[in-house]
Amino acid sequence: MTARASGGVLIAALLGLVSIQAPVCAGGAAAQAPAATRQVTDAAGRVVTLPARVTRVADAWHANNALVLMLGGGDKLVATTVQAQRQPWLERLYPRIDRVPAAFDARGDVNLETLIGARPDVILMAYGGSLPKWAATADAYHIPYVLMPNTSLAGLEETARLTGQVLGEKELRVAEDYIRYFDANLRRVTAVTASLEDAQRPKVLHTASAGILTVDGRESLIDDWIRIAGGVNCAQVSGLGRPVTMEQVAAWDPDVIIVGTAPNRENRRAILDDPRWRGIEALKDGKVFVNPSGAYLWDRHSAEAALQVLWAAKTLHPDLFRDLDIEKETKAFYVRYFHYALTDSEYRSIIDAVAP
Amino acid sequence: MRAGRAAYLIAAPLALLYASLFIGRFAVPPLEVGRVLLAHVASLPHTWPDSVDIILMQIRLPRAVMALMIGAGLSASGAAFQGMFRNPLVSPDILGVTAASAFGAAVALLLSSGELELQAISFAFGILGVALTYLLARVYRTTPVLMLVLSGVVVAAFFSALLGAVKYLADPESKLPAITYWLLGSLNGISTRSMAVAVPPILLGAAGLVLLRYRLNVLAMGEEDARALGVRTEIVKGVIIVCTTLITASAVSVCGIVGWVGLVIPHWSRMVVGPDHRALVPAAMSIGATYLLFIDDVARTATAGEIPLGILTAIIGAPCFAYLLRRTRGSWR
Repeated sequence: MTARASGGVLIAALLGLVSIQAPVCAGGAAAQAPAATRQVTDAAGRVVTLPARVTRVADAWHANNALVLMLGGGDKLVATTVQAQRQPWLERLYPRIDRVPAAFDARGDVNLETLIGARPDVILMAYGGSLPKWAATADAYHIPYVLMPNTSLAGLEETARLTGQVLGEKELRVAEDYIRYFDANLRRVTAVTASLEDAQRPKVLHTASAGILTVDGRESLIDDWIRIAGGVNCAQVSGLGRPVTMEQVAAWDPDVIIVGTAPNRENRRAILDDPRWRGIEALKDGKVFVNPSGAYLWDRHSAEAALQVLWAAKTLHPDLFRDLDIEKETKAFYVRYFHYALTDSEYRSIIDAVAP
Repeated sequence: MRAGRAAYLIAAPLALLYASLFIGRFAVPPLEVGRVLLAHVASLPHTWPDSVDIILMQIRLPRAVMALMIGAGLSASGAAFQGMFRNPLVSPDILGVTAASAFGAAVALLLSSGELELQAISFAFGILGVALTYLLARVYRTTPVLMLVLSGVVVAAFFSALLGAVKYLADPESKLPAITYWLLGSLNGISTRSMAVAVPPILLGAAGLVLLRYRLNVLAMGEEDARALGVRTEIVKGVIIVCTTLITASAVSVCGIVGWVGLVIPHWSRMVVGPDHRALVPAAMSIGATYLLFIDDVARTATAGEIPLGILTAIIGAPCFAYLLRRTRGSWR
């Protein structure tokens, strides 16, 4: 075939592609608009109209992807985030996550063509009071988006409910079951910790990164689970990942340090080896712990936050929670919600926050 | 330089260093500070908790000393470069050292390297960046000032782009905030170990600049005049570049990007002691050291969190510079 002829074939093929693609594009949201719809009220109080049956979901919130999977909606994911794909345990539980286009990058920006090309029925996103700048574009393309609260532990239950509502009835039933399970865990822990005197509550420092010392402060989900687990977040700063001085940490003098950043084990070692940390109470007592990490980081807005409250309670008050078996609870959780039976070594990899 | 003025310039940083040991978020009674310090030179009964000793000797003192060294080093580098390039807008990062060091540090943070590895990688990239600039600027065995400046722009732009790529790849929950805060500059990471690595290159570079300060006067008249006076300008320029690079790469490798110090302090010093580099270089070192230590004291005590150094140096530095510009009406010599 001559070069010209092959060029002609190529152009014909391209035209063919366009003509095949065109009706599909045109048959998107606009054509289905008169079809059955339903409404969901999101975290910002917006009433969002969705197709009655949602089958294609774009999830812009890193941590929420594991929640969608947990509720049984994994196969509905058509766009995910780079960060979600980097969680080794999410990959183990749901290998397809690597083949879902990552329309959202690590910083929360979007590749609009990937997003629109994925033809989502709805976009799920975190909401802490402001919208990402691409929300206006989603509006322009008539892609509905549902905002979910990301600033507290109570908000996490609301997020589970909203995610279930968006995905469908079957998923909503799992979400309601999960919320009951979560509440039961919260009751189990607070039944013991609610009556603790201030003096019995250890001062907890939760670190958010190592290269530069940042910690997780007040008005956050992390502060919530520390309080519920019977501790006091000693970081008197507001929000997640705030930089603080070494001297300020010494002044707070935490009784317990929880290392919440990958690679957690190495970061814990760095703290233990640093002479500047030596005088701190937590190091004298050997109370420097690695925060577990599974389908997502347990300490963040992950499905496993329900386990985090148990783990934190047992870690802060081992003698008060003698009968609480974290290994048993964790294995049961993964079977119940991810339909995955953890081996002993897999369980250890989650608790030690290393790749399986 | 008048003797009285010289005494002030020597005393100011030392006095502030001493004062800095007394202030901080962790309350230590002033008398106890004195006793702890004395205990390290004489034998005293140990009446204070270990934590006080750690706060003073492992946290406050290394941090304050490092602030002095970096302030002095960056200011001397700025003064030397402004003379050598005969341009008041020049700062120590003109040859791309800051951008290259910052890229090295970001890579190290991305790879979760330890503290000393980060320092080494950042320092090495700083040196590499300037080496590239120098080679790029070399024409017929000379390095014209204009070629140096333009090559510096190219190299800095290249490493800034690479830095952007690293930030794009970084994990948003842990790595990206660390890189972002690191780039804003902070002396929070200073420990005795990191100091031991960072101090020698800074001392070496600063000593070089002090020894060359007379040659700077000659260079500042223009390269042709300097050559006519028998100064081997290529060698002098080369040594000055090596000295400033050692200082700046070392500074960036321990505390991130601290802008404005190397630009503003030389101007400020010129107002105090005049344009003669024999006085200007030591004066800039003293004023720069005092200035950065003061700013770092604010950064670590003003709030419960840590205020990034780069933010404060620019917020305080920019109005200072504006004032100086008005005051001198642009006649920078």
